[in-house]
Amino acid sequence: MAAEDARYRQTSQYQMWSFSPTQLAAMRENTNAAARTRIAERLASLPAASNTTSAPTSSVNTPDPEGASISALPEFLSAPEEAQLMNFYTLELLRAGDHAEMPDEIKATAAAFFRRFYVTNSIMTYPPQEMLIVALFFACKAEGSFISITEFGKQFGKDNPEDILAGEFLLCQGLRFAIDVKHPFRALRGAVMELSTLPDIERNRLVAAEHRAREILRFSALMTDAYFHYTPSQIMLAALSLADRGVAERLITQTFHYVAPPFTSNNNSGSETPATSGPDAPSSNTKRNAAPRSSNNSGEDKSQIIGSHIRDKVLGTIEACRDLLSKELPERREHWTNKTVIKAQITPLRKKLTKCRDPDRWNLVELQRVRREQATKKGGGSDDGEPDDRTLESDAAVFGEALPVPPKRRKVGATDGGGGPGEGKGDPFGGPL
Amino acid sequence: MAVSPLVAPTSDAFKPSRPISSPFKRQTSAVPSSNGNGTPRYPPAARSAPGDGAAMTLDPIEQLNEDEKRKYVKGKKLGEGTYANVYLGHVRHDPSTLVAIKKIKVQQQYQDGMAPDAVRELKYLRELQHPNIISLLSVFSSKDQNLNLVLEYLPLGDLEMLIRDVDRVRYGAGDIKAWMGMLTRAVWFCHDNFVLHRDIKPNNLLIAADGEVKLADFGLARSFADPGRRMTANVITRWYRPPELLFGARHYGGAVDIWSVGMVFAELIIRAPFLAGNTEVEQIALICKQIGTPTEDNWPGVTQLREYTVPSEVVPVWGKEAYMGRFGAVGADGVDLLVRTVALDPKKRITAREMLEHRWWRTDPKPTRKEDLPRKSGGEEKMGADLKRRNGILDDETNNRGAKVARKLDFGQAK
Repeated sequence: MAAEDARYRQTSQYQMWSFSPTQLAAMRENTNAAARTRIAERLASLPAASNTTSAPTSSVNTPDPEGASISALPEFLSAPEEAQLMNFYTLELLRAGDHAEMPDEIKATAAAFFRRFYVTNSIMTYPPQEMLIVALFFACKAEGSFISITEFGKQFGKDNPEDILAGEFLLCQGLRFAIDVKHPFRALRGAVMELSTLPDIERNRLVAAEHRAREILRFSALMTDAYFHYTPSQIMLAALSLADRGVAERLITQTFHYVAPPFTSNNNSGSETPATSGPDAPSSNTKRNAAPRSSNNSGEDKSQIIGSHIRDKVLGTIEACRDLLSKELPERREHWTNKTVIKAQITPLRKKLTKCRDPDRWNLVELQRVRREQATKKGGGSDDGEPDDRTLESDAAVFGEALPVPPKRRKVGATDGGGGPGEGKGDPFGGPL
Repeated sequence: MAVSPLVAPTSDAFKPSRPISSPFKRQTSAVPSSNGNGTPRYPPAARSAPGDGAAMTLDPIEQLNEDEKRKYVKGKKLGEGTYANVYLGHVRHDPSTLVAIKKIKVQQQYQDGMAPDAVRELKYLRELQHPNIISLLSVFSSKDQNLNLVLEYLPLGDLEMLIRDVDRVRYGAGDIKAWMGMLTRAVWFCHDNFVLHRDIKPNNLLIAADGEVKLADFGLARSFADPGRRMTANVITRWYRPPELLFGARHYGGAVDIWSVGMVFAELIIRAPFLAGNTEVEQIALICKQIGTPTEDNWPGVTQLREYTVPSEVVPVWGKEAYMGRFGAVGADGVDLLVRTVALDPKKRITAREMLEHRWWRTDPKPTRKEDLPRKSGGEEKMGADLKRRNGILDDETNNRGAKVARKLDFGQAK
């Protein structure tokens, strides 16, 4: 078994952030639907406490926003509309990264973070324009580049570090704390080095292919869901194939050259996530197989790794990835910045978005402040040694203004942060004090 | 694939997959019911937050986080440091499964959000799963927006404790071989995954209940840099720091960790730090004296390193024989391996993989089985004492000699 496959299956990118297109679409539908429900609830509770007299406790488990109070619910974004805005903001992110002259890896990590975050969070809930800056900042760190927030903020005209920092933890949580993103850039370099050893490929052709493939990796791979569906090496091969199909196929046939003996058992226990099928960077396979353990490789093992039916399978996967990437070729950059397009397609959605934002979540700084207040408040006398410099008045101010809280729900005790509408109830948290 | 290319993998080479669910797997069921909220009496320590979520409703991702948090019960504090507090904890539905919960503090002196050591530790521990690397079981955020790392509980202290307790802990060549084997596999695995640990030393080598050694503390780790990219030279605790870093090299590779492994090896044998300089200058002097002076002859290019300075009296590099007197306990083959790990020129230093292929592992005595390894035991009190020390180790940087290294890191240019 190719070690790279097994290795890749251990990564968080595979375990947590790889999905089939169907799965991903379903998740996004879920996210969209959940956000609508919640925002509707929250908007409904906005007017005043007076509105929620009818058994706030029980309404918790029966979210029925349409039913009770609300007359004027905004029109929400649909999942496809969110997806379209998502692409728009991904490009915004890439442009911001270009503006700050960030290396490809950081921009790519940021884009992956951004898109992952919005798989389980709706852009109606958290502000994409700000989260993309947060994603860039955190991507710098994740890639080992620890720059000062003040310096970083300056590049984007953000004078208050808090504007960016407020979203950092949120992002990290939304990523489920998996912050290592595997990219195809090094794979491309490796593939080109491998190809350059072949006598029959012209150097100029290879240079051109690498250049074009890199452009595709820097744009198409990030503007699409490629990272969710394919491994880095598959993405790399697809990009190379788009750049120069002959070169890519040469590499693939070169790698999967083993002619299987008559019998083959090709039940590759294939999990349905597409990411498993292709071996990671075929080029490295050949090298690694020098490992002592490969000494017991039988012909069958070999055909399992570099046999022709595997080649066909890889080719099929690459083809599918290629199709995906070709939807956002680098030339599409102009499309996403074209004024007419923006005006016709994006502006209306953004307008819509301003009307259906989540009132509790949209302001990241405020959100963070409230959370900290809550934590400090209930953490009194705790062993955590948290900063304890917040006063009761400021708590009151926060809960009074930021969160319209029906006062009557404050029944759990002095430590209760006050009750919002929603399912906090019945939930585990009502543990005895 | 997980263990090493050479040592037959034990059956747990593939750990049971981590209890980390995919973001949506449980979303639908996560809403109110699934929490198995039946247990009415939470230990007080688990102050799982009355009022949590009351002031604000939870989004699916927040709910998942709450669920993750609720899988564990946080117990008494084991230790407190500037970087983190460490708590004993257990799995809620199975109180016999202990865990260590490392709660990363928001650092006052670091104004730029989540601190570098936290980011690094999170990033690498999340990806590296190997029997000889401490397991990250889960991560969740507490209400105050602090990061909590749930780590496997390693109750038997660390290698440093065993090395230092000369009076009560006795061990021999087979034991050293076993410990070194586990350490080398861990380092091989890191390097094979393109990760540099950059702080290998005895008190970052923790011992599990079954005797397994686990490499911990990835707060200084980073991925291999692309060729040409600079890294900081200011890593690895001084006594374990290789000459190239002492000379300010900004381009380096796995060899830096190998030097540290060699220093640990030597320390295991002589039961004291081999090269314990009080300053960097002293450290270089010690290396020159005990191992040999780096020169253009034995290390082409070394004089070009920007902080290259050596004592004027040039000491020729010592041969194997010179080590036999002091390190002979591990036999000629063991000494051969040791000498290769402390080659001055990093290009000539043995790699982790080559270490695993070394003949020493196959010569007598055999490595001790891990359950038979000496441990610091002697009753409940001892165990309690170990537990108390554990913390200082888990949230490492606070009160040991690693602290200075970590603090001095030059983040601005550390790439």
